[in-house]
Amino acid sequence: MSTFLETISMCCLAVLMVSGLLCLYRVIIGPNAADRAIAFDTLATVFIGIICMLCIAWASTLYFDAVWILTLVGFLGTASIARYLEKGRVF
Amino acid sequence: MPPVTEIIIAAVMIVGTFFVAVASIGLLRLPDVFCRMHAVSKAGTLGVSLLILGPVLFFFTSEWGMALRGLLAIGFQFLTTPAATHLLSRAAYVTDYPLTERTAVDELEQFLDSVPDEVVGQE
Repeated sequence: MSTFLETISMCCLAVLMVSGLLCLYRVIIGPNAADRAIAFDTLATVFIGIICMLCIAWASTLYFDAVWILTLVGFLGTASIARYLEKGRVF
Repeated sequence: MPPVTEIIIAAVMIVGTFFVAVASIGLLRLPDVFCRMHAVSKAGTLGVSLLILGPVLFFFTSEWGMALRGLLAIGFQFLTTPAATHLLSRAAYVTDYPLTERTAVDELEQFLDSVPDEVVGQE
């Protein structure tokens, strides 16, 4: 017994997990640090999508704050990696 | 919940998943770090905004505080992702990451000098 939205969100969840595996493959084989940084940024995006799909499937807002926090932390991570690559230090 | 709302939420979710999947396929297949950033920053931003819009519409009538937080997350995503990828691509260009062999023209070369090796790590 599952509703229409549960089915759709589970299908989207499967596609998002395959996308996350592709990003992880790029993290492993990436030739240099910028490739790995951009792949981790995409991986954070995929995690945000997975959390949203689980919120809809379970009809619960318990984990929805994690979306908000991952948005900010992902930006800080990428910006500090870029600054480290360019200047050789973070602060 | 009326069926029209459910169909709208399902369409938003499917389109967002499609964009995120396209971003990760582009991340895997494109030849260059700058091409990969192009794929990720465009498709990724739109995809994740649509993916957050699904729960926002889903919880809009029951818990509007959570829906407001989701709208805030979409705003932050639109503000931060282009800035982050721009910073990262500038850092990658300045520190001489190799372009692909198929690069036809490099217009940034005359405006942005690459950092000499001894400057990195000092200041």
